[in-house]
Amino acid sequence: MAKKMVFIDTSLCTGCKACSVACKAWNDLPAEKTRRISSYQTQADFTPTTYTYVRFKEEYYDNKMHFNMLKLQCFHCDDPACMKACSSDAIYKTESGYTLVDRDKCIGCGYCVANCPWGVPKIDEATNKMYKCNGCIDRVENGMKPACAQVCQTGAIQFGDRDELMPKAQARVAELQLTNPKAHLYGDKLMGGTTYVYLLQDRPDAYGLPLNPTSPISLTLWKDIVHPLGGIAIGASAAAITVGVIANLLRGNYANRAKNIAESHDEGGM
Amino acid sequence: MSPSFGRGAMTNSWQDMQNSECFLIAGSNCAECHPIAMKWVNRARAKGAKVIVVDPRFTRTASQADIFAQIRPGTDIAYLGSMINYYIENRLYNEFYVMNFTNALYKVSKDFEFKDGMFSGFNPETKKYDYASWAYQLDAEGKPVKANSLDDPDCVFQKLKAHYSRYTFDVASSISGIPVAKIKLIADTFAAANPGNIFYALGMTQHTTGVQGIRCYAIIQLLLGNMGKAGGGIQALRGEPNVQGSTDMANLNANLPGYIPYPTNQEKTLNDFARNKGSVQHRPLVALLKAWFGKNATAENEYGYQWLPKNNPSNMPTQTHFFGKMEEGQFKLLLNWGSNSTVSIPDRKLVARGLSALEMLVVADIFNTETAQFWKEEGLNPAEIQTEVIFLPAAFVYEKAGSMTNSSRLIQWKEVALPPLNGVHPDLDMLDHIFKKVRALYAGSTDPKDEPILKANWDYGPHEAEPLKVLQELNGYNDTTGKPIATIGEYLSAPVGTVSTGNWLYTGVTPEGQNLADRRGNADPTGLGLNKDYAFAWPGNIRVLYNRCSCDAQGQPVDSRRKLIWWDAAQNLWVGNDGPDVVDKTKGPDTPEGKTGFKQNPEGVGRLFAATYMSGAVATPTESIASVPIRGAGMTVDGPMPEFYEPIESPTSNILHPSVQNNPCAKIISTEFGNPGEYPYVLTSYGVVEHFCAGAITRNIPWLNEIAPEPYAEISKNLANKIGVKEGDEVEVSSARGKLVVRALVTDRIQTLKINGKDQETIGMPWSWGFASLSPGPSTNNVTMAALDPGAGTPEYKCCLVNIRRA
Repeated sequence: MAKKMVFIDTSLCTGCKACSVACKAWNDLPAEKTRRISSYQTQADFTPTTYTYVRFKEEYYDNKMHFNMLKLQCFHCDDPACMKACSSDAIYKTESGYTLVDRDKCIGCGYCVANCPWGVPKIDEATNKMYKCNGCIDRVENGMKPACAQVCQTGAIQFGDRDELMPKAQARVAELQLTNPKAHLYGDKLMGGTTYVYLLQDRPDAYGLPLNPTSPISLTLWKDIVHPLGGIAIGASAAAITVGVIANLLRGNYANRAKNIAESHDEGGM
Repeated sequence: MSPSFGRGAMTNSWQDMQNSECFLIAGSNCAECHPIAMKWVNRARAKGAKVIVVDPRFTRTASQADIFAQIRPGTDIAYLGSMINYYIENRLYNEFYVMNFTNALYKVSKDFEFKDGMFSGFNPETKKYDYASWAYQLDAEGKPVKANSLDDPDCVFQKLKAHYSRYTFDVASSISGIPVAKIKLIADTFAAANPGNIFYALGMTQHTTGVQGIRCYAIIQLLLGNMGKAGGGIQALRGEPNVQGSTDMANLNANLPGYIPYPTNQEKTLNDFARNKGSVQHRPLVALLKAWFGKNATAENEYGYQWLPKNNPSNMPTQTHFFGKMEEGQFKLLLNWGSNSTVSIPDRKLVARGLSALEMLVVADIFNTETAQFWKEEGLNPAEIQTEVIFLPAAFVYEKAGSMTNSSRLIQWKEVALPPLNGVHPDLDMLDHIFKKVRALYAGSTDPKDEPILKANWDYGPHEAEPLKVLQELNGYNDTTGKPIATIGEYLSAPVGTVSTGNWLYTGVTPEGQNLADRRGNADPTGLGLNKDYAFAWPGNIRVLYNRCSCDAQGQPVDSRRKLIWWDAAQNLWVGNDGPDVVDKTKGPDTPEGKTGFKQNPEGVGRLFAATYMSGAVATPTESIASVPIRGAGMTVDGPMPEFYEPIESPTSNILHPSVQNNPCAKIISTEFGNPGEYPYVLTSYGVVEHFCAGAITRNIPWLNEIAPEPYAEISKNLANKIGVKEGDEVEVSSARGKLVVRALVTDRIQTLKINGKDQETIGMPWSWGFASLSPGPSTNNVTMAALDPGAGTPEYKCCLVNIRRA
């Protein structure tokens, strides 16, 4: 299957949250008890049962209101840190560009949680498995749009083949840049290029996004260099676990796993 | 809109929005409350269209705007009046259009006067105007006298010019809080765009000056020549998917289906009605009576006219009034379908009082709404409430077939997607069962008052009522052919008394063997979004109303990229991409009929000045009554031109005329009012995208409760500092009528305004919560006020005075 892309054009997003409801409906995810956090945002972060939500950021300067709304979900990186960090080879890439988790293999170690620069993966404490946006792979592989794109009325979430959609995204940026020099694409060059690519109208931090998301160097070092060697010597899965353990030991992630999960719930992640 | 254009409906369609060059979205938060609109707005934006949003808050719609202006709630007429003034003073109006398609040249009666905030003819006792002085000067034949030029001091245009000369940008800014430069920017941007489109919804109508606010839009669009054009018009966005349908079927108290004026107690016979209202109303009334009473409706018995109850014009209660009438004991029984009044009525304690005085309340709904369990609310004593309440579980929208008519006047058929559960029935089925049962109880009665029940034509199927039979009844039948009416033309040309139709506007929707509402043809060869083969739009499948105005004097489209209709000289016929909205398709642009842009108005033109007028109109002579070729103009009860009045509860005085603060005709129901000393802040209430209306459905859907779990009060940072509140703190919001506690949403999206030289704070609160459901919450209508627009009866939900403090 051709490489897919989802283009999220924030200049068209009205923050209606239909995407987050459609995601829960299609993926059969239960509602969670929430309170309003600030602005119109009620979902603080990803959870094992919240794969996508809308973040609202308000900024007022130069006598002008900047009301930034951002639909968040897994970016489906081409070179995902979660996959590198995974100790059990549970995370894999599809040809179409999606980053998926095989929950039969997932051991709930939480390395993915600690290493994703966007804080996407979450471990369900009950099943001890990782959950995150699966890109509606079941729909996509059957010729349908992902649920979020299907319900988006304003055209803010567009889905298509990467070859066709990327030039459209670039053209849209060029168009907006005529009046707003801050308009830019976010994701197209990050983490090897993400499947979900954003058009932002302001700097990334105005949306609460990191400026330069990267995989930790330790991960790259161990997974890309040591892993292939280790794999030869001791078998793939054992090597993967070893690499994962070492990489995460270097980052101190073992001790911090529970804390990371708790904090990301409290602070709204990222 | 009806007093301006002759029809009250939204003029264009959802799809047509893609043709606009500029949108003035004022009194509508369409991104939240009509999200589908943004799909089409965005298509226009992609082609360069500009978006202007005027709102008391920076909404999610405002986030999409090129220009945003924050306005004090209830002051729209002030800035719109200044735009009218600016367009006239700077000759920014479309002169050809104004001369040909409006009543600008018509001479107004010498008796007309506007002085110190009041129009001529006011009766302070009844709080009503006598319209006599708002008339035209008439010639010997009773036709309006037209001036030779727009400079004639008697003509409508000069009346308009004089009236709005008081509305300078400075005055408008002092009243509304919008800076002068921004009003000018809005005016210039909108005038430069051709065509420009205006959206409104409840933000514009829920005022004691609601109708007049819309009249401002009508005047602006007529001056700029935007009516009847693709991408132009005035879009009354309807929230509930069948609001247009319910209005078509007479949810307004002065109408019968198809906007036939309801017979009054002065019209004792059908001939009285025909004499007063003309053949133009007599024809559809007879057809309606024939639909309702079938074979029992004959020429000899006035088609059953005597079986219709008559209206008393001096006592015309709207929904808000009804609860007071219940309290007074006028009603014993209320059948309540799909309405959650306990949450939705302003100053809502009136509702519980009314419902408590009933003998029986029947609620049909899909969830156990607040209204269905009103006696359970904290503060009420169930032991003292004797009302017997019966709950009928109703089928949900996807569990029942039928037609819905949306904002685009598009009658769309739908099938059952999922059968309802056992014991749950579609509304139609319930009504069918109740009526048959009631009729059985009256069987054999010879009492004349029971005749309407016994004589009614009621045949929608022996067991389960069939919705298609209802639509076919609306479409109507031709006695001569014995077949369903095929087109609106067939209905109009048939002799009176030979056709029946439950709603003359719907004729042509179900010709023999077809259901055009069920069409799903998606072809759009023009790219204008006309989609003529998709369902059926009334009247006669016309997609853009008044489209004659899109042509020049020769009958050719003025906009080569947006061709709707044109005169084809070879065929001697009006033809086009859309159905021509003309008097007669065979009458060319050089005939009076062919020049008529607004055929539903007695003058045939758009009404800048809503004059008192009744004229001759095309009418076919009938067999039973001499033709009465008159057509009355739709009236605005509170003045022929919009005037700015402060809301009933206002923080300031009316600087245009301090002695006339409010709309002198407003209908006041609430009895407790606050003053700005005690209640210094202006509250505006609104819906949110996450919940629908009173929340009866949506507050029972966990996924929606997750994304909008609670109501809140949006306040500016200045106000938050002043009362010592930070984001998320609990606050008590109170008015003279009640109070509630919610959490504060502290935001830059509401700014402190400068009104008449003083700082003024606005508070915004969504209203969709009540004490029941999976997600209960306090109701904002504890504090709002029941004061109504005198014409439409719409309550002033959008502004009242409140105080706020840390709870």
